[in-house]
Amino acid sequence: MANLPGATGSTNAVSTTSAQVRPTGFHHYLTLLKKDLTQEFRTKEMLTSMGIYSLLVLIVFGAALAQTASSFDILQMGGGLLWVLIVFTSLLGLNRSFSHEKENGCLEGVLLIPLDRSVIFLAKASSNLLFLLAVEIMVIPLFYFFFLTTTTPAETFWMIVFPLLVGTIGVAGIGTLLSTITINTRGKDVMLAVLFIPLIYPLLYACVSATTAVIVGGEWTMDVYLPALALAGGYDVIMILLSWVLYDFVISA
Amino acid sequence: MEKNAATSAIKVVKLTKTFGNRKAVDNVSFAIPQGAFLSIFGPNGAGKTTLLRVLSTLSRATSGSARLLGIDIKQEPDKARDHIGLISHNSMLYPDLTAEENLLFVAELYGIENAKDRVLEMLDSVELKHRRHDVVRTFSRGMTQRLSIARALIHDPAIVFLDEPYSGLDPHAVEIFDGLIEAVRKDRTFIMVSHDLRKGFDMCTHALVLSKGTVVAFDEKNSLDFSDFSQLYAQTVGMGVA
Amino acid sequence: MSNTKKAVKLPEAGGIFDKIAPIALLTGALLATLGFILTFTIASLVPGAAVNGVELIGDQMVSNKLLLSQNIFYFHVPVAIASMLALGFTAYYGIRFLMTKEARFDTCAKVVTEVALVFIICTMASGELWTRFEWGVWWAWEPRLTTYLILMLLVIGYFILRNAIDDPERRASYAAVFGIITFVDVPICFMITRMIPSSVHPVVFRTDSGMPPDRLVLFLICFFGMLLIAFALYRLRFRQVRLAERVAALKEQLDD
Repeated sequence: MANLPGATGSTNAVSTTSAQVRPTGFHHYLTLLKKDLTQEFRTKEMLTSMGIYSLLVLIVFGAALAQTASSFDILQMGGGLLWVLIVFTSLLGLNRSFSHEKENGCLEGVLLIPLDRSVIFLAKASSNLLFLLAVEIMVIPLFYFFFLTTTTPAETFWMIVFPLLVGTIGVAGIGTLLSTITINTRGKDVMLAVLFIPLIYPLLYACVSATTAVIVGGEWTMDVYLPALALAGGYDVIMILLSWVLYDFVISA
Repeated sequence: MEKNAATSAIKVVKLTKTFGNRKAVDNVSFAIPQGAFLSIFGPNGAGKTTLLRVLSTLSRATSGSARLLGIDIKQEPDKARDHIGLISHNSMLYPDLTAEENLLFVAELYGIENAKDRVLEMLDSVELKHRRHDVVRTFSRGMTQRLSIARALIHDPAIVFLDEPYSGLDPHAVEIFDGLIEAVRKDRTFIMVSHDLRKGFDMCTHALVLSKGTVVAFDEKNSLDFSDFSQLYAQTVGMGVA
Repeated sequence: MSNTKKAVKLPEAGGIFDKIAPIALLTGALLATLGFILTFTIASLVPGAAVNGVELIGDQMVSNKLLLSQNIFYFHVPVAIASMLALGFTAYYGIRFLMTKEARFDTCAKVVTEVALVFIICTMASGELWTRFEWGVWWAWEPRLTTYLILMLLVIGYFILRNAIDDPERRASYAAVFGIITFVDVPICFMITRMIPSSVHPVVFRTDSGMPPDRLVLFLICFFGMLLIAFALYRLRFRQVRLAERVAALKEQLDD
């Protein structure tokens, strides 16, 4: 019935490879990333589920804080609440990030292609990072609207951008490694939380203190902010380097 | 090395895959020429899938060596991967991408020149060109299988692995699948793992029977007919399998 | 040829280490207990921690009499350091496993992590008593305490992860990777009192140690005893696991 091309022309395999030029790692990276983005633009699965989930968490915060009225300082608490929101929302997204790869054995198909395994890590971590940042851009104005309009945050408020960025990079990096591990385990949703939350704790701690410092403001802001940011950045670098090195062992197992 | 490649497509020497006490593949040796069709038979847990995974570079052997077209898969796995295609019961297609996007994704990762033309050519050959802008999720099982063949052969591999390709296919789809495989046979070397004794035997030129990780029989088919073979299989592997 | 690569020496049960393990356990227990008792009888109070009359520490009035409870230090700190060392070995065996893919190293990593978990639980329990007595609270979100709790959760997570994977090779690889990543938290936990100096935990390991010599000797006795206990527990457990593995292997051979 059908006549597949290629087979007729080629006498042996070596000659056919002349049409193939091994692409660079960067080209692989872009192709993998583009695939994730195309998929997401088509289904909008990650963004809608994470977006709605974070809105629901905000509503839960509202209920939890309803009785405190004016007797406590939302500015002191705001940074922490924001990070609670980010951690739980990212858990939801990370859990899903490999479900498509697993569904039809796609990951195996990618592993059959000659490409550097750590490129797969970088591409997946990047797409996770982009999705998380997109959700944060949606959610932070909402958070401000619901909780911070009753008071005035310090003028340094805009500087929450840096801890958010550093924190999200770490969350995406560590989360990508862990979700690759947990996708192959029983009870994978809970498993990711069990491994992920303790592992990002130092990062979380540093990011919360940096975020709170700039929301509250005051004379000593920079004394807390900069060391905390440096700590978070250092943890990011160590963890992402380690994940990058170890990823081959995880994905080939 | 070139000479070697011309004589045997796959040459496996004392290949062993162990972990702890378990020997999944134990001291397996065989060689098949280019253009051969090898069927691997054996009961569940005989190590068929593990052997296939090792040969297709998805898993690493503990000891021994395997050469595909003269390329040592342990030393140069990336070089070997250029010549390997895998068709399995998993389609390896992203359900939310279109047929064209799926193939284009694979073509770009392999670094095929004129990827777009090649993809259209492949889609045409599996008669899916008219559906190329449709999302794979909307495809029937048979169409998905056809597309997955196109996906596996897009880089024109010399060696094609078939991992239980028939599971989940209805008889009609099986017929179409067989036709497609027949069409791409030519000089390619095939290795198939299947539970279907009859099917596997009909298609093959060489047969290999595994039991508990070791080779209990390996021969060219022309000396045997099916009834002989199934008798042999029942004898070597044990009761209740054939 | 790849066959000629030099064979990796695998740890195995039996031999000299297993013979001395029970003796090491006994000696370790004796040393640790002896050192601990002596801190109450012959040693002077920790001078750095002595207070003039009564002082307020962590919302709690503290007097010199209360400071006798400081002696739990001689149990608490050796156990904590032993647990961290054990986790170091988890990472070491993890790396060895990933390099060789030998199931034996996975067994080693698993056993040494079990020992680490036992020591971590002992540290948490003794620390808890101390917290309650010194600060009058059951729990405080103090940096050292928190990072150590995180360490405990990671080690528990390590075992939950192992239990959730069926394929032994995959289980071993994932456990090795997670063990290595977990180890990143060990130096953080160890250094946290230096990074955040307001901590209630004093910086003990420094060149100008604030301890008087007699206390230091006692501490080292307790510490050495605890290391012996850790080593002996590891060997005993390793022997048990290895023998079980060998029995399983024999059973499998009989089945064939």
